[in-house]
Amino acid sequence: MIKLLQCENRKTRGRYIFITAFIITVVELVWALHNNYSGFMLENGWLNFLYQLPLINAIFMPILSIIVSSRLCDIEHKGAMLKQLAVTVDKGKIYDAKFIYGLSIVLFCNIISWVAVIIGGYVKGFYGSVPIKLYLLYLLFTIIPTIAVYIFQHILSLLFKNQTVTFCTGIIGTFGGLFSMFLPNVPFLRRVLIWGWYGATQFVGLFGWTKETRYDTAYFEVMDIDWILFAIMIAVCVIMYLIGKKLFCRKEL
Amino acid sequence: MFRLLNAERMKLKRSPVWLAFLIMPIVPALLGTLNYMGNIEILQSEWYSLWTQHTLFTDYFFLPVMIGIYCVYIMRLEHNNHNWNKVLTMPQSRTTVFLSKLITASFMVFISELWIGILFIISGFVVGMANPPYMQIAVWCLFGTLGGIVVAAIQLMLSLFIKSFALPIGISFAGGLSGLVFLAKGLGHIWPYSLMAYGMNSNAPQKILESGYTEFIIICIVYIFLFTIISNVILSKKDI
Repeated sequence: MIKLLQCENRKTRGRYIFITAFIITVVELVWALHNNYSGFMLENGWLNFLYQLPLINAIFMPILSIIVSSRLCDIEHKGAMLKQLAVTVDKGKIYDAKFIYGLSIVLFCNIISWVAVIIGGYVKGFYGSVPIKLYLLYLLFTIIPTIAVYIFQHILSLLFKNQTVTFCTGIIGTFGGLFSMFLPNVPFLRRVLIWGWYGATQFVGLFGWTKETRYDTAYFEVMDIDWILFAIMIAVCVIMYLIGKKLFCRKEL
Repeated sequence: MFRLLNAERMKLKRSPVWLAFLIMPIVPALLGTLNYMGNIEILQSEWYSLWTQHTLFTDYFFLPVMIGIYCVYIMRLEHNNHNWNKVLTMPQSRTTVFLSKLITASFMVFISELWIGILFIISGFVVGMANPPYMQIAVWCLFGTLGGIVVAAIQLMLSLFIKSFALPIGISFAGGLSGLVFLAKGLGHIWPYSLMAYGMNSNAPQKILESGYTEFIIICIVYIFLFTIISNVILSKKDI
C-alpha cells in the first residue's frame, strides 16, 4: 500500500493538486476571517465562529473534494491507465490508495483551516480563551461530513470516465446542502443530504435575534448534539465506501 | 457559421450535460420557496423577496460553476485525441470556431435563465402571489443571460489554454466568489464575474441598475469582444 501511495504522489507531480487545495483553503479562510468584529461579536467571537463556519464549510469542502478526487482519478481515465494498473495490482487496492491519498489532502486542508481559524480568533482579540472542547467537536463534525462527501465524489470520479458527471452531481449536491441550512423548519432535509450534514451537526445556535432589536437581545447557545445522527453518519460512510469499492471492483475497465 | 453551430450541436448530442442545467435551478426554486414561506413575516416584498431567494446563490456560486463545467466540456472535446488539429485545418477562421462554441454555451445560459424565470413564476403562484412583474422578470433574465455570456467567454478562453478539467472550474468558482466581493465593493458593473448577478439584480431586485442598462450592455459587449480576440490570438499563436 505504501508503494501505491508513493505512486500516487509521483503521478500527481506537476498537477498542482496541493496548490489548488491550498488556494481553496486560503479563499475559505479569507472569507471566514475578513470581517471586523466589535461589541457583541467580539464578546461572543468564539461561539460566533462555531455558528458561522459550518455554512462556509458546506460551500468550500465539497468543492475541494470534487476537485481533488476528480484530478486524482482523471489521470487514470486518460489512456486507459486503469486497465494497465489493474493487471499489476488488485483493483481494491487501487481504490483504497487513491481514496487514502485524496482524503488525506482534503483532511489536511481541513486541519489547516481549523488551526488558522483559532489563530485568527486570537488575532482578532476575541474575549476569553478558545473553548477547545467545543472546537474539537467542531473539527470532528467537519471531518465526518467531509469524509462522506469525499467518498461519494471518489466513487463517481472512478466510475465515470466523463468527469462532467462528477462535477455536476457534486455541484447540485452542494447547492442542496447549502440551501438545506437555510431551512431550519425542514430539519430532515439536512439530515438526508450528505452535503447538509455540515448544518445537521451544527451545535451552536443564535437565539433572540429580531429585525428590530438586532443583537441587543441576541445570545449564542450550545445545543444538544445528536449523537444518533453522528452514528448514522459514520455507518453511511462505511456503507458508501464498501458499495463504491464493490462497484469499482466489478466494473469493466 | 451555421454549419459550425450544427457541428457543435452534433458533438454535444447525447451528452447529458444540459440535464444539469435543467436540474440545478430546481434546487433553489424548491428550497428558496420553502425558505420564503418560512420567513414570510420578514420578507415582505413579495415577488422581489422571492426572486432574491431564488437567485442569490445561483448567481454567485452555482451558475458560474455550471457555465465553467459546460465550457470545459465543450473545449475538452477538441483537446482530446488531438481534435484541435482537425478543427483548425478546416476552411474556417479561428474566430468563427471560437464564436460557434460561445454561441453554443450562450444558448445553454439562455435556456437556464428562461428555466429560472419559469420556475420563479410557478413558485410565486404556488405560494399564492398574484400579478407577477413579467416585464421585469424578462429583463432580469435577459440581462442575466448577457452577463452569463461574459462568464462563458472567459471560461471558454481559460479552457482553451488550460487543458486540465478541474482547474478552469476551480477558477469559475473563485470567480463567482470574487463577483460577490466586487459587487459588495460597488464594482459589480465592471467586474466580469459580477455581471450576471448584477444584470439579474439578485441582491436588490427593486433597485434599477444604478448606472443604467446601456452602460451594462456596452461593458458586456466589450468583454465578450475582448475575450474572443484573446482566444483568437491564443488559437493563432499557440501550438495546440
